[in-house]
Amino acid sequence: MNEIINYSSGFTEEIGWEWPISIYLLLAGISGGAIIVALLIRFYKNQVESTAVYKASALVSFFTILLGMVCLVGDLTRPLMFWKILINYNWTSVMSIGVAALLLYIPLAFVAVIYAFEKELREKLPFLCGIIDILNRFRAVLEGVLFLFAVIICAYTGFLISVLVRFPLLNTSILPALFVISGLSAGTAALCIVARRFFKEDAHSSDMAILHKVEWPIMAIEIMFLFMLYISLATGNAANETAQAGFHEGVWSNVFWLGIVGIGFILPLVLNFLFGKKIANTNVVFYVSALCSIIGVLCLRLFIIYAGQTFSI
Amino acid sequence: MSSENKRRSFIKGIGLGSALLGSIQYGLNASEESKKKKPHYAMLFDQNKCVGCSDCEIACAKVNHVPKGQHRLYVEDQTNPNDLKFKKYMRVSCQQCVDSPCTEVCPTKACHKDSITNIVTMNTDDCIGCKYCIVACPYDVRFINEETNAAENCNFCLNTNFKEGKEPGCVAACKYDALVFGDLNDEESYINKILAVKDAARLKPGFGTKPSLRYIPKLKTGVYDE
Repeated sequence: MNEIINYSSGFTEEIGWEWPISIYLLLAGISGGAIIVALLIRFYKNQVESTAVYKASALVSFFTILLGMVCLVGDLTRPLMFWKILINYNWTSVMSIGVAALLLYIPLAFVAVIYAFEKELREKLPFLCGIIDILNRFRAVLEGVLFLFAVIICAYTGFLISVLVRFPLLNTSILPALFVISGLSAGTAALCIVARRFFKEDAHSSDMAILHKVEWPIMAIEIMFLFMLYISLATGNAANETAQAGFHEGVWSNVFWLGIVGIGFILPLVLNFLFGKKIANTNVVFYVSALCSIIGVLCLRLFIIYAGQTFSI
Repeated sequence: MSSENKRRSFIKGIGLGSALLGSIQYGLNASEESKKKKPHYAMLFDQNKCVGCSDCEIACAKVNHVPKGQHRLYVEDQTNPNDLKFKKYMRVSCQQCVDSPCTEVCPTKACHKDSITNIVTMNTDDCIGCKYCIVACPYDVRFINEETNAAENCNFCLNTNFKEGKEPGCVAACKYDALVFGDLNDEESYINKILAVKDAARLKPGFGTKPSLRYIPKLKTGVYDE
């Protein structure tokens, strides 16, 4: 940059936020994405029973967000002080807003687990029937709020890092949108795997057909957002051009082209469309392409965190 | 309610309302006045005077008990390797921004502005070590103290020398008067008198954070015969 006076070094010789944050961003995305998709199917089809997809989404959402919390607290340099974040709030901090949202979202995700396994819980733990009855009275409202907060959780993870002005790759308005859409992508994939593997959902059931249909438009939007991010940096000022190098230089550019583009986008497309319907309908292709989506989104989070912080101004 | 009563209550309302607004206005003015009195501490680094002796670094570490190998400030050698005759040094430390991103993003308000001096500082007890302030800082001058595991920055020796009414450690240690510390809101302060006659720059003004550190750049290349 063209300034009269400046310094070239800084205090953080390495990366400030490292891979545990990437993993957390992935898990939060999966958690929110899975429940968003399942609730949309439920609202759209006016379902009243607990379908395999609903059960899978409740489990996936609840456990991924808990695991995410472990990553988040584990990344603190003073993990035993984490409770301070629960009692001190700074409303100009996206992190505080996120914690407040998580405080509502996590119990609601747990309530979704109760809804999903209502029948089993009534049989095994009959003393819970009273609580389940009370919860059932507010089911429509609670599911609506859960849906809203799932979107907030996906989006806030994007806002969390888009406020970091030093890093042009992160400091863009497209990032929250990219995080919501890639969260949907990974969430859908996780949902597919769990519903099929643990709840024996038929690969051609009507719920699965919807999931399969929405996967491709979600991927198309994700590609579009990434393309927009790339172009906005390429056509931007000198600082943006510095960050654009992240796509072409260094280790993380390989993660972008091999991980996000190769494994995340091209491999599932090839497996599902290039070799005909017969191969596309096999079990292996089903699981592999779902895993590819998750790996692709993990690579996206790693790329954003590492390449974003490497190319600073 | 009769129309007479309505009118009466309307007039009453106007009376009360204007009294209320008037007092709010008065209150606002009063608070503005008290804001004006708040100090704005700043530091000036003169690149023409600094010789890179690193006395400031050593003094800072000693006064503020900074762990070995870590710094709240350091001096960067910017001497052109092809022209070693003309040395150039640069102070790297917290810029004490007026609009500070670190205090804005800190989720626990551990990183905050001191209520009396307005200096950006840390409440170590509340810091959880999330590193949000570190990545949010446009100048990359925050770090995790390896002993306390809490984030830290140069706070003009707020808890040490400043509390005792002394100048910051680095300023006191500088033999060449390359550092000046003072209150910009005090017209009589030496820093104001210098800033009135010397050109000084702020780092990366494009970030809009309004840093309180001012730098006098080295523009003169020296007198020499060639």
